[in-house]
Amino acid sequence: MEAKRFVYSLTGKLILTISALMVIGSIILGYLMYRNREAELIEHSVDSGISFTEQIKKSTRFGMVNYDVNLIQRTVEDIGSSKGVNKINIFDAKGKVAYSARKEEIGTVLSLDSYVCKPCHAGVSKPKTTQSWSISRDKEGYRVLNVIQPVHNEPVCYSAACHVHPKDQLVLGLVEADLSLAYLDKGIRKQGLVLIAYIASFFLIISIVLYIILWKFVHTPVNILSKGMKRVASGDLNYNVKIDTKDEMGELAEVFNAMTADLSKAKKELVEWGNTLEKKVGEKTEEIRKAHAQLIHSAKLASLGRMAAGVAHEINSPLTGIVTFGHLLLKKFPEGSEDREDIEVVIEQANRCSNIIKGLLSFARATTVDKGPVNINDVVKSSLNMVLRKADFFNITIEQNLDESLSPVEANASQLQQVFLNMILNAADAMEGKGTLTVYTRKVTENDRTFAEVEFTDTGHGISQENMAKLFEPFFTTKPVGKGTGLGLAVSHGIVQEHGGKIFVKSTVGEGSSFFVRLPLYER
Amino acid sequence: MSKGKILVIDDEDIVLMSCHRALTPEGYDVKTAKSGVEGLKMLENELFHVALIDVKMPDMDGMEVLKKIKERWPDVVVIIITGYSAIASAVSSIKLGAFDYIEKPFTPDGIMSVIKKAISQKV
Repeated sequence: MEAKRFVYSLTGKLILTISALMVIGSIILGYLMYRNREAELIEHSVDSGISFTEQIKKSTRFGMVNYDVNLIQRTVEDIGSSKGVNKINIFDAKGKVAYSARKEEIGTVLSLDSYVCKPCHAGVSKPKTTQSWSISRDKEGYRVLNVIQPVHNEPVCYSAACHVHPKDQLVLGLVEADLSLAYLDKGIRKQGLVLIAYIASFFLIISIVLYIILWKFVHTPVNILSKGMKRVASGDLNYNVKIDTKDEMGELAEVFNAMTADLSKAKKELVEWGNTLEKKVGEKTEEIRKAHAQLIHSAKLASLGRMAAGVAHEINSPLTGIVTFGHLLLKKFPEGSEDREDIEVVIEQANRCSNIIKGLLSFARATTVDKGPVNINDVVKSSLNMVLRKADFFNITIEQNLDESLSPVEANASQLQQVFLNMILNAADAMEGKGTLTVYTRKVTENDRTFAEVEFTDTGHGISQENMAKLFEPFFTTKPVGKGTGLGLAVSHGIVQEHGGKIFVKSTVGEGSSFFVRLPLYER
Repeated sequence: MSKGKILVIDDEDIVLMSCHRALTPEGYDVKTAKSGVEGLKMLENELFHVALIDVKMPDMDGMEVLKKIKERWPDVVVIIITGYSAIASAVSSIKLGAFDYIEKPFTPDGIMSVIKKAISQKV
């Protein structure tokens, strides 16, 4: 497994490729060196072999000239006993062995086809008269150098006393010597082994150095980068790889770190963007939900208004009967009598019914009124003046923060006053006659439309969350029975709605409430 | 001798009865009609000083009756009875010639004072 991984790794591939190239190169180089050395040695041996046969020729010259057969034979035998000399034969011109280091070969006649004669005679009309050599192998496989040296005619030969050789004969005979090249073969083999050992050591050293270099400069940084990429891929975008070298790996690490930083930044932006989007979607959804609720609420109030108007009108007539006949009855009983008091209760309660109906009708009647430009500050001031002298307001501080530059709104002044009075009286009730009522007017922009806004902020008991939802419903009241009809805010809501504005509340239980009335500005 | 002849036009019996019972003991001659058509017919036959007319009636509404009376018997003082505590309808009725208006539910004293004013204006 480890070996397989090594083979597939970059380091492994590089080492294996370089090794293979080195092995092939070494083999070729070694072989060429070997062959070159061998050729050189053989050339040298041949030179030695040729000079050796020349030496034989010279050693036997004296014997030849004096025709001392025994001296020649003894000289040949002596030289032939030397180490590395396998054979020495001296042939006469007829191809017969005249002298030999091995006596038994004397007298042997060779044909022209024999290996001795062939080099000069075979197929050639005029034989060569120079020396020749060849290499063969002995029984042990070692090379043997065979040198054939012709013996040329010389004046001393044909003028000698023996008169054996005629003057016109060119070649008188041959010297043949077999010289063993075993020392050479052994030497070459040894040199080959040494060469192989050198190459192997060189190869080993190169491999180790290469491996260390690749490990340090390729494997380790690649591993660091790969680890870094895994970390980044698993989401750790703050991870930095540390490669301090100035080479391509160092550059790669720098680029990688820059990329990770960019990614991290992009991801952060994306997350932020996502969050903002989620928030915006949430806000929009809430807005739509509120608008929808508002719409349902308005529709509900409108139908309630129509119903209330119908009911109110029908009830007014029987109430007229109750009140009239009650009063007629009243006159029949003496002042202070119990019966009279009972009837007074009947009349009183009928009047209460009448008040409820008046409220209902004004709630239903929040439609179809004439509108015109109205200075909202003036309406606020006149509404406040109306209540200031009431006992309920003796202990209430009223603060006015009015924007005097506010443009007029399109409204019906008396309806608007009804709304503001409602807000002011409700605030007084909430504060139970003691506290601060602050009234603001200001210009606000909502969905590219400009509105005038009036804010009534009290320091009263506040409105609970559950009451908040029912606040603008008709007949909803937290006041004691008989004190409020529960129509004030419903009527105000209807009026403001009819004016194309809106009314809303912000409240904290125990701290107070703020009622906001927004009305569109008057457009000529 | 009656203090004046009064015609009450309303589709509701209880209103007619209330006006009758409230005004008769005070010396007024009170006649009632259950619709505008019936009331106009009665006006053709009899002379009335004051007419009390309900605004909201099924066949002919009070404003219509008011207009017809003012066309034919301009001397008759018309008082509108309204269920709506609406200034707008009151104002429009006065523009059409009504002397005053009274809101339902009214008390015997309330209607008496309006009638008294109407008669005194007449005389």
